[in-house]
Amino acid sequence: MSTAALDRQIRPIYDALDTGSNKSAIVACNKLLKKHPKNELVKALKALALVRSQKVEESLVLCDEVLEEKPTSDAVLTAMMHVLRGLGRHNDMVTMFEEAYKQQPTNEELGVQTFFANVRANHWKSAQQIATRMHKQFQEDRYLYWSVISSVLQAKDASTPKTMRTILYKLAHRMITSSPTPPYLNADRFHLHLSILSELELFDEARKLLDSEVGRNICATSLSCNEVRRELWKRQGLVREEGERAEKLIKEKGDRNWLEFLAVLDATFDCLVISPTDVAPTTLEDAKKECATRVQETRVLFTRVAEEDGSKDRSGLLALLELEKRARDHGVSEEPTRLVDLMERYFNEIGDKVCCFEDLKPYTLLGSDEHCRWIAFLERVPSMFSSIDGLRRFINAYKFLRHSLTSSEITADTESARVALYAKKYMEALPLGSDLPTTELQPADDLVLLAGNTFISLWKLTEDDNNLFKAASLLEFALTKSKQSFLVRLMLIRVYRLLGAPSLALEHYRAMHVKQVQHDTLSHLILSRASTFSLAAMGDLTLATECLESTQIYLSNSQETGDFVVRAFTGEKYSQIPQFILFEDRLENSLQRDTVKVEHLRMRLTHEPITSDIIDMELIELKFIFDRTHHDNRDFDILPSYQPRISPNLNELTLLLGRPEGHGWLSTFLQVYIRAFQQSSDLDDTVEEKLLIGDRPKQTADYDRHLSLRERLCEQNEEYLKTLTSDELAFVHYARALADWLEPYHDYTRPPPAAVLAEAAKQTELKTGHPLKGIDIPPNGASHGQKKDEEPPAVRDPPELVVKHFEKLKMRFEEVQSKSPVDVLHVATLAQEAYLLFIIESLRFKPASVVKVNKLGGLVSSFKCIRTGAISVLKEISSELIKRADFEGTSEGPKCFIGLEELDPDFVLGLSKKVIDARKKVFEGVGKGLGRITATYAS
Amino acid sequence: MSVLRPFKASDMFKFNNINLDIWTETYGIGFYLSYLSRWPDLCCVQEAPTGRMMGYVLGKAEGSNAEWHGHVTALTVAPEYRRLSLARRMMALLEMVSDEIYKGFFVDLFVRCTNTVAIDMYEGLGYSVYRRVREYYGSLGIGKGGRDEEDAFDMRKPLSRDPNRRSVRPNGREMIVSAHDV
Repeated sequence: MSTAALDRQIRPIYDALDTGSNKSAIVACNKLLKKHPKNELVKALKALALVRSQKVEESLVLCDEVLEEKPTSDAVLTAMMHVLRGLGRHNDMVTMFEEAYKQQPTNEELGVQTFFANVRANHWKSAQQIATRMHKQFQEDRYLYWSVISSVLQAKDASTPKTMRTILYKLAHRMITSSPTPPYLNADRFHLHLSILSELELFDEARKLLDSEVGRNICATSLSCNEVRRELWKRQGLVREEGERAEKLIKEKGDRNWLEFLAVLDATFDCLVISPTDVAPTTLEDAKKECATRVQETRVLFTRVAEEDGSKDRSGLLALLELEKRARDHGVSEEPTRLVDLMERYFNEIGDKVCCFEDLKPYTLLGSDEHCRWIAFLERVPSMFSSIDGLRRFINAYKFLRHSLTSSEITADTESARVALYAKKYMEALPLGSDLPTTELQPADDLVLLAGNTFISLWKLTEDDNNLFKAASLLEFALTKSKQSFLVRLMLIRVYRLLGAPSLALEHYRAMHVKQVQHDTLSHLILSRASTFSLAAMGDLTLATECLESTQIYLSNSQETGDFVVRAFTGEKYSQIPQFILFEDRLENSLQRDTVKVEHLRMRLTHEPITSDIIDMELIELKFIFDRTHHDNRDFDILPSYQPRISPNLNELTLLLGRPEGHGWLSTFLQVYIRAFQQSSDLDDTVEEKLLIGDRPKQTADYDRHLSLRERLCEQNEEYLKTLTSDELAFVHYARALADWLEPYHDYTRPPPAAVLAEAAKQTELKTGHPLKGIDIPPNGASHGQKKDEEPPAVRDPPELVVKHFEKLKMRFEEVQSKSPVDVLHVATLAQEAYLLFIIESLRFKPASVVKVNKLGGLVSSFKCIRTGAISVLKEISSELIKRADFEGTSEGPKCFIGLEELDPDFVLGLSKKVIDARKKVFEGVGKGLGRITATYAS
Repeated sequence: MSVLRPFKASDMFKFNNINLDIWTETYGIGFYLSYLSRWPDLCCVQEAPTGRMMGYVLGKAEGSNAEWHGHVTALTVAPEYRRLSLARRMMALLEMVSDEIYKGFFVDLFVRCTNTVAIDMYEGLGYSVYRRVREYYGSLGIGKGGRDEEDAFDMRKPLSRDPNRRSVRPNGREMIVSAHDV
């Protein structure tokens, strides 16, 4: 057949792949492969279709076949690139392109692809070498710059030793200065050059670039180059020069970038910044005098700006405040009333803007006289408002007043009085926004947020859940007036979770339309400790699904971000490359990602049968996670906190169970589960190595490399343990005791690696028809029932912590009955988790043959005792929860909720029904789920 | 008083106070990265001294010959920072870069015909309606505002390379085109 004819037959395969019809692509490939069994392209395309239909094992076989041929054709390489990416084999991709480029060293496109393959795999050193070679060969400037930035990226890479960094920057510097064209050609090259000079502190050279006319022009038009310039001048100590430059911009160009004002401020106080050792008292006095003069001059400048701009721009006024504050801090202020004067002036000018509160907050730490004056000023702000501007002023005054409360002013009585006032004022203010379209936010919303904050503070003071309910009713009412207020929703989410009504929290979360990258920063709102509310045990996968949906973004990140790094190379946007890589890393190693992973695992184990398959898979994943350094991208600042300065903020006040989740929580739960899974699993490191598909993720965690995994799993970090709730801590201690007790029996019973591999190979062959590659199976593969040389470890009684755990849980469960529903559910779900952990740990000893061969009859009989005890406790908890669910629904239940007088009683009643239903649902669901688990794992 | 600085990829972790507002769409990460990988100088952020993001603009340069211009794709300010002239400053930067770096003939943007507040602001900044694009915001369907709700004005402002103001016209509101033509 001619090539053209073959081409014609291959086209439909591409079409099928493009439209996602992988099945028909496979069929078409098979047909062609019959005639052309050796055709690389068809094989590669079939491998791709297989990967895309999740048939990984079959794809691997084809993939390896093609790789062995060392392909060079563009089409094959491209198809293989997608296959290897799908399999996560970036390292193989690098090898493939390198081999191809070696065979055709004059093929520029291949060179570029090889470079990009290295970029995607973060192999900066090889990337740099390839780019250098390409620059020599093809004489294109951009290859030189590629090589320069590759060195810079290698220097920035966490795995590069510190001592190497300067050397790499020096190398980058040598290369960039060898460029035949000047760096001014475009802003991004200039940016790269400057950052290298900054890193190496080559100030003179940087100066030369910056002082040139082109250099100046670039900095005037490029914010990012100007950013590096600022940094350079600062490092060089050119504070005064920077101040003069900024002053000119403010005066002559009307520049109002706050950074310029900061530069002027820094310059004003620069004469005081001298190392204290070489200053005699007289010179310090002189310096202060000089500084006082400078402060005067700067004040003149800022006053002029403030007068010119009026209320159009707040820079001048705020700069005057900052100037006064710094003058005070340095002891060069002579005018004791000036700060409050300025604050009042600021409030008068800008008080009708929402941001006034945030702007002035840093200046509100005042001496007592000033404080009194400021408070008196705020109290004089009229509380009658006829306009939205007047309302905003009033709200700002309220925010400041609340912010500056002292501890003696925060009691249940005063807070009750305040909340009543806020609610009243809110109702009064509502008509002002009645004409606004429903898509607009209501100007009175902040009053409701103030009230919500105060109800929450009251709840903390009184521990009375009714305060939470009142908050919910007022906030829900506010939402009927201001449909788009996400701040109201955020507060409601927290309140409903505290009330034990997770389904209502979820409704509001969904109404916010959180999507894409926001899942990473916001899903904590709904998923932190979500297994407490999970009904997965009885088949309701709502929260488990929410977990999975929130993790889609990490998939997009791993699939897409690398492409944009490559695009930034192609477009020579060097300023972006390090930032894209940082972004990718922060998402890839996100704390929230793996916290959700653990939450999902906890839910999964209640829902799916616990088998060695689940255990093996989760074990591998969790171990990777354990080796990561996590970035905390969660957004807590978004919560509208209007609490007094001396109080905890809204986030801290409304954390579920009062404890933050974080690195400590994640690390501790990972330890628990990895250890349990490792004991229960037959996979040891050597087996895992052979069975693993794709590259091993980079170990970024910072830990003592001498420690073995087991040692790391057994490590106890007191700081971490402090972040757990007392019930979680008890669970962790129990898990440890259980693992310590059973470890020797697991180790003795676990089949040898050769036997495990043989079994895996057999399974693969059954599934795919191909043997597992790279594994030699010994002729008489060791089997499960083999005789061992050493005697089994002596059977020891279970430790106290394990035996008594469920009894203690029962007591604890009774204890929390009087507390919040969340506490009740927390204890119940942890009891369930403890039992499931026991199931995992005892799974290996289930088959009678294993017990017999390993002579572990004694051990297994002690399991029975534990199991019986645990089941009876769990059953009791289950029936108590179901009882409680019924009780919530009775007439005695709703009585506990009393709404606000201002609200329509029907509205309040309706809401209280909703809360009660939501509670009922979760009590019943968790209760029944527990019942189901005791039935599933009854013996 | 705000810091004007480049938009950085990791700002996506910080923009919730802006993007949770219904008028601001949150796109896939590829959207932001594609702008940053091509026109990083047309993307900037206004930030409060506390480090909180106040607003941002994303722009691009496109078109050929006399149509070569800077385009404002997204301009947004968080609800609590409105009425502070932030949009003005970000537009000024985008115009300056479109003019001096990209040498465009004009800057353009699309705005809902009902959004009179924004239209007034843009007119104040020197923009004028070039044409009306039918059903540009089709997704909402015809709401209270009728056609005005889903039609967009394409507004333009000439830059120094167009001293004769060839890129604008006085009767733009009457020039109606369909969404396919833009």
